[in-house]
This record gives sequence, structure tokens and C-alpha cells, in this order.
Amino acid sequence: MLASIVASGLAMGAVYALIGITYNTMFATSRVMSFTAGMLGMLGGVLGSLFMLRWGWPVLVGLPLTLSACALVGVATEFVAVRPVLKSLDQHLYVLSTLAVALMIQQVTAIEWSTEPRPFPSLLPMGAGMWDEKYWLPVIACALTVAGLEWLYGRTLLGRAFLAVAEDNFAARALGLPERNLRVASYAMAGAIGALAGFSGGQLLLAFFANGPLLNFYGFIPVALGGLGNNRGAVIGGLALGLFQQAANFTFGGIFASVAVFVLFIAVLLAAPQGLFGTATARRV
Amino acid sequence: MNVSRRELLAGSAAAAASAAGLPRPALAANEPIRIGWLTTLTGPGSAPGIGFNRGVEFAANAINAAGGVKGRTVEVVTRDTQGDPTKCVNATQELISQQKVHAIWGPTNSGESLAVTAIMARAKMPNIHPCVVDTLIDPVKYPNAFRIAPSNGQWDEAVRKYCMSILGAKRVAVFGDTTGYGVTAAKACADGFKQAGGEAVTLANIDATQPDMTPDMLRARNAGAEAVVIWTVSTGMIARLLNTRAAMGWDVPFAGHPALASGDLAGLLAKPGNWEKVYAVGYRSCSFDAAGALPPRSQELVDKLAGKVNLSDSLLWWVACGVDAVNLVARAVEATGETASAGIIGHWNALNPYPGYFGDYRFTKEQHNGYPADAVVMSAANTAKSGAFALAPGYG
Repeated sequence: MLASIVASGLAMGAVYALIGITYNTMFATSRVMSFTAGMLGMLGGVLGSLFMLRWGWPVLVGLPLTLSACALVGVATEFVAVRPVLKSLDQHLYVLSTLAVALMIQQVTAIEWSTEPRPFPSLLPMGAGMWDEKYWLPVIACALTVAGLEWLYGRTLLGRAFLAVAEDNFAARALGLPERNLRVASYAMAGAIGALAGFSGGQLLLAFFANGPLLNFYGFIPVALGGLGNNRGAVIGGLALGLFQQAANFTFGGIFASVAVFVLFIAVLLAAPQGLFGTATARRV
Repeated sequence: MNVSRRELLAGSAAAAASAAGLPRPALAANEPIRIGWLTTLTGPGSAPGIGFNRGVEFAANAINAAGGVKGRTVEVVTRDTQGDPTKCVNATQELISQQKVHAIWGPTNSGESLAVTAIMARAKMPNIHPCVVDTLIDPVKYPNAFRIAPSNGQWDEAVRKYCMSILGAKRVAVFGDTTGYGVTAAKACADGFKQAGGEAVTLANIDATQPDMTPDMLRARNAGAEAVVIWTVSTGMIARLLNTRAAMGWDVPFAGHPALASGDLAGLLAKPGNWEKVYAVGYRSCSFDAAGALPPRSQELVDKLAGKVNLSDSLLWWVACGVDAVNLVARAVEATGETASAGIIGHWNALNPYPGYFGDYRFTKEQHNGYPADAVVMSAANTAKSGAFALAPGYG
């Protein structure tokens, strides 16, 4: 029993963590919380199912195509919903613009795909019970993503350029860094990471248009818990959320489990408003 | 000639009186019988609406091809409400005040019906619908509204009787989704088991998008559930529960909402065997017996539909119910010779029974739940063939 809860909790936690990283990646270069993050996760599952199950393409074709398509959606988001409102960040217009794009993505998916959940193919048919692929694949995907991002940010010039823009985009631009191109690249990367969340969790989540709002919401919690912009915090927050959610499902069941999750979320934020791993921002007074 | 005001008034009154005594214009006697048809043909939850619509079109065409009703053709005025109560309200008002229909069939889901039942009652519009929410039928408040499908209470009773009397399961886990319907139906089901001497050892409302059902199923098993009762239309939620049951190696039967037999489930299940021991609400008129035969009247309908109506992606009861709805209006006009709402409603109030394809409907002035309770049975969920299902094991 405990093993089942841990297995499914870690799997869902890994998906939430990946969506949290998607939020962070977009936020880092634009200071915008884009509510398309969950939709990218949803699209990862839907496009994966479309390419591999409906059109019968192998995973080696389906996965890169899914990631590329969602990267394009990420870029489109930057052009349509982020760039026009960057000059007035203090008015928080991005909430409206990114939510509008998210709703459009969801509605188009509902119309063109289906309003009913569709199956997602098994990628590596091995393991059973709690060793089923649907439990460990999201965890592996999350671990690989975090390792990749650590390498990118710590070992490559491109990654350091991302960090420079995230730290101070005016200074980065003054140093000659192509801030706008880096921002577009970060949205493309976020699109691919979001898609990977939905793709690796496809067996759990199914290819379902309604997964978007679910991932938007539960993916935001690790960001708030772990601290905005902190990927390691998002991973820890995501895994903790998944485990706690499954334990609450077992203990309380149904809608009461959601209440338990939100009670904990609010309690943590009351205790540490900047998140468990975030740092308080100094403000000139 | 001088005409006084008194003479003018008297003359006008005489003229009006003589006009009232004249036979109605021939136009009224030959005008089509207009049936308003509110349904969901597009958007989420459109499958039943499309199924009902096939029956409606078939019945209207059949009546008109046979010369109509006393020379009057049947004209179906269809409005696609897309499952949206607001659109349904607008369409209802349009059908009543602009299209001036003689009766309305639909809407076909309870959420929309709750929004328009009072509007139709105010207009005294004869209305038949297949919606399950119990409160939609109240002959005192809504003397114009008649139900030609089971109520939720009848579904509930069929599931409870099957679990307790045939499966021998008195301790059940009851799962509903988090919609208004899921919450209400699950609670009513749990209460029903308690009143009947059983027990809902687990009662939970689960978010239909919840990715993993393992914790809920573990709770049910630990609580000693002997059957799992489901009240949701979400095929994703049902598939996850069935896949979890298989992964747990738990041989517990599932019973409940007709969505347990939805064809969409086939693709969502990890393997076809996960659909075994699953029993969905069904109907005797649309069930195969042990010999694989439909009841004679249903077979007659299937033969008539052959080549004209596709049953492979729909349910027979949707089509049969649509046929019955049109026939009920047509027969009322035929019997009373008029399309006035009082005549149609009065005719329906005296049906005892009307032998439809979907069922034998019985109405009185005090009882507008016309579908017979004993016609609601359980079906083996994975046995769909031409829109009908095999009776669940245990029925004579």
C-alpha cells in the first residue's frame, strides 16, 4: 500500500515539478508567469498520442516532433502574449494575455482533438505494478531535465547568458547579449520541457484537453513552495506535493484531499512567503 | 345614415360572435405539426443527442412518408444547444414565441432541462424529455412535463437491487465525480443502500481528471467493499478505476452509470480483460437475452432502421427513445384532432400504456414518470453490439 502511494506520488510529483520548471524557465528571462505552462503539458500528451497512436509513428519520431511542436507554441506565446506586455509588467497584463492564449490552446484542442480522454501509448512496455512505466518514466524525465538544465546553466556559455538575462536583463543587454533572442529561446525550451512533462506522464494523465488547467494549477504550487525561479526548489516542492496529494487521497479521499493540499499550501506560504527555498527580495524604502 | 356608438358596438359584438362560430380556417387544419427539438448535437456530451436525433429524423420521415397525421406533416424544428443551459433557454423561448411549435421534445440533459422546465410550464408547452434528475418531474408545478426515460432514482434502484440481490454485495464503495450530478447521485446511492439494509463503506467524490486512482481503490478495498458503484459520465475516470482494479489484482465487480458501457472505454483500458465484471445501467427493451435475441418489438425497430440509421456508433435506446418521442406527439394530435397544448397534455395524461419501442409508457394526471421501473436492468458493459447490450448475469 505504502509502495503504491509512493510510486504514484513520485510520478505525479515529477510531472508537477516539470511544469514548475516550465514556469520558471519562462519567468527567468521575462519576469512573466505564463499560464500556458499547463497547456504545454497537456499538448505533450495530446500530440504524443496523435503522432504515435493515431498516426502510428515510432517514439523516436513522435517524441522529437512533440517537443518541437510545443517549443513552437512556446515561441508563439512569447510573440503573442508576452512581448507586447513587457513594457508594462507592473500592470500584470501578462496574466490576461497568457491566460487568453492558454484558453485558446485548450479550446482548439477540444475542438480538433476530442473532449473525451484518449489513450496514450506505452513507450517501453516493461515492468508491472508499481514498477510500471507510467510511474518511473516521469521521474526519469524529471531527473534528466534537471541534470540537463544544471549542465546548461553551469557549464555552457549559452546557459550563462540565460542566467545573466535572468539576473539583470538591462545589464545583460548593455553587455551586448541578445536579450530578445535569449528570451525567445527560453520560451522554446520551456515549451519542450512542458511537453516532456505531458509526454512522460501520458500513461497517467491520458491525452485529454482538460489536463491543461489541472497542470496549470498543480504545477504552480511547486513554484510557490520552492521559490520563484528556483528549479531545485520546484523539484523538491513538486515531489513533496505529489506524495502529500496521494497520501491525502488515501487518507481523506476525493475532494477532501484537494482541501488538504491547499491547507498545507497556504500554511507553507504563511510561514515562508518567499517559498521554502526562495530568498526574500530586498526593497528600497 | 346615422349610426350611434351603441349600435356600432352591438354590431361589432355580433360580428365577433358569428366569426367565433365559424369553422377554423383550412390553413390551421393542414398546417404541419411542429415539434421543437432541443438537443446537443455538437460539443462535449453530444453523443446521446446525435443518437436521439437519428431516431427523431427517422420517425418524422416515416410518418410523413406514410401521409402524415390526418394529412398533416410532421415538421421537426431542431435547435442545437451545445449542452449550454443559456443557449437552451434562448432556444426554448424562440421555439415557443417565434416558431410557435406545438410541443417540445428535449432537452436531453438535466442541466439544461433544469433551466427551461419552468419556462415551458409558464407557456403550458407540452414537453417530453429523457432527463434523469428526479425533481424535473412534478405534475403540480410542471403539469406539461413528461419523462419518457428512467429517473435517477430508477437507475439507482436498479443498481442497488443488482448489487444486493444478484451479486450479494451489501457493502459497497460509492464513487461519484465532483460535478453536481456526481455529488448528488453518489450521496443518493449511499443513502439508498443504507435504507435497504446495505452499507456504503466508502463514499467519495473524485475529480474526474485525477491521474491515479490507486489511493481511492485501496481505501475501498481496505474498508471491505464487495462491489464498487460508479456515478460519473467521465470515461477517463472510469478507465483509470478499472485499470487500477486490474493492477491491484482485485476481483471486485463494478456497477453503475451507463457510461460504464461507453465505447470510448475500450481504447483507454490497459487490456480488454479489465472490462470484465462491469455492469452498466441498461434497459430490457435494448438488451439481448441469453440466446442473443432482442425483444420482438425492438427487433422490429432494428429491422426498420436497417440501412437507414447507423447503430454501430450509437446506442439503440437513444434512437428508440427519439422515435417514441416523435410518435407520442403525432399520436396525441391524431387522437385529439388538434394541436392545442391542453389536448396533447390531456391525451398523454391518459396513456396507460403507450407501447413504445424503448418502453411501455404510463402516465396519469398525477404521475408523469412514464418509464416502467422493471424495464431498467443491468447490462454486461463490454458486450455492445449494434447499440444494444447483453443482460448482466443473474437475470431470468
